[in-house]
Amino acid sequence: MILKLLAISVLLLVLSCRADYDIEEVADEEYLGEGHHSHDLPDSLQHEESLHDHSGDPEHDAGEEHAGEHKERLEDEAVSGHQMHVHQPGERNHGTEWFFNQPWAAKFIWGKMLRDSVVLILLAGLITFFSGRNRK
Amino acid sequence: MKPVMTFALMTMRSLVRRRTIWGISIVILLALIGIGQVPGYGTTNQGRFIIDFGLFGLEVGAFLLAVGLASNIYPRDRERRTIMPIIAVPLSRGEYLMGRFLGAAIVQAAAILVGCIGLMIVLIMKNHAVPPDLFPASLLLVVEGWFLLAVVFFFSFWTSPPLNAPLTLFLFIVSQMSVLDFVKLVPGVPGLMRVIRLLLPHMDVFHIKDPITHGMDIPGLYFLLAVLYGLSYMAFMLSVALAVFRKRDLK
Repeated sequence: MILKLLAISVLLLVLSCRADYDIEEVADEEYLGEGHHSHDLPDSLQHEESLHDHSGDPEHDAGEEHAGEHKERLEDEAVSGHQMHVHQPGERNHGTEWFFNQPWAAKFIWGKMLRDSVVLILLAGLITFFSGRNRK
Repeated sequence: MKPVMTFALMTMRSLVRRRTIWGISIVILLALIGIGQVPGYGTTNQGRFIIDFGLFGLEVGAFLLAVGLASNIYPRDRERRTIMPIIAVPLSRGEYLMGRFLGAAIVQAAAILVGCIGLMIVLIMKNHAVPPDLFPASLLLVVEGWFLLAVVFFFSFWTSPPLNAPLTLFLFIVSQMSVLDFVKLVPGVPGLMRVIRLLLPHMDVFHIKDPITHGMDIPGLYFLLAVLYGLSYMAFMLSVALAVFRKRDLK
C-alpha cells in the first residue's frame, strides 16, 4: 500500500514539476518580446533614418515624404493628447499580448499539452489497476 | 462493454425524465435569446459580442449541467438502495461508474450541442455570419463539461450533494486561473500552491472564443490536442473517483 502511494506520489510530483505551462512563465523572451516595441517618436524615427540612407533615390524621396507626414501626424496627436495608433489586424503588440498568450496561439506549449495527456492517461491506468487489485 | 452501454442508456433515459435537465436547458436557451436581444447601437461588431457571450453562456451551462445531472445520481442510488442489486450481480463497481458517467455525458453533450445550434440561430436571425469554428468550439466545451462531470462524480462518492456543487464550482474557478495568480492567493506557501494548481487542468485550453470572434483560423491539430488533453484529465478524475468508490462501504 505504501509502495503504491509512493509510486503515485512520485508520478504526481513529476507531473507537477514538469507540467508548468503558464505561457507567461515558459515563453522565451523572443516570443514575449515581439509585443514590446517602442512607440517613442524621436527614437523610432531616428532608427528609421539611420537605417535608410537613400539620398537621391526618387522612390525613397517619396517614402521620406510619407514618413514626414507620418511624423507630423504623430506629433499632432502628441500635441493634442490623442496617442491612439492603429496596428494591422492579427499583429502582436503591447495591447494584444493577452490575446496571443492563449494556448491556441502559443504553439510552443502544444507539445507540453501532449506530454501531460500521456502522463495523465498513464496515471489513470495505474490508479485503476492498483485500486482494483487492492480490492481483490 | 455491452452491459455498460445498456446501463448508460438506462441512465440517459432516467436523466431525461428528470426536470433538472429541462430546466437548465431552458435557462441556457433563454440566456442565448437574451444575448441576441442586446441592442448593437449601430456598432459593426455586434456579432462578436453575441458569439463571445454565447460561448461563455454555454460554458456556464456545461458546469450547471454537470452539477445538475451527476451530483444526485450516486446518493440517490444509495438512499433508495437500488445500487445494491445492481453491483451485486450484473455490474462491477467500475462498470456502474462508467455506465452512469456515459449516460450523463451523452445527455450533457446533447444539451450543449442544442445550445450551440440555438446560438447559430440567434446569429442568423440577427444577420450575422456564423463562424465555421463555432461548432468545434462547442465541442471543446463539451469536453470541458465531461471533465466537470467526472469531478462531480468524484465528489459525489465522498461528499453530500449540497457540498458537491460549491466544491465543483471552486475547482471550476481555480482551473481558470493561471499558476501565478493561484500562488498569489496564499503567498506564504508558494510551493504547495504551485503543486496544487499544477494538478488541475488549464481550462483556457478549451477557450477559443477570442480567435473565433476575430475571424482567425484555429489549426485542426490544436483541436485534436485540446480534446486529448480534456479526455485525459477526465480519465484521470474518473480513475480517482473509481478508487474512492471501490473503498466505499455501501451498507
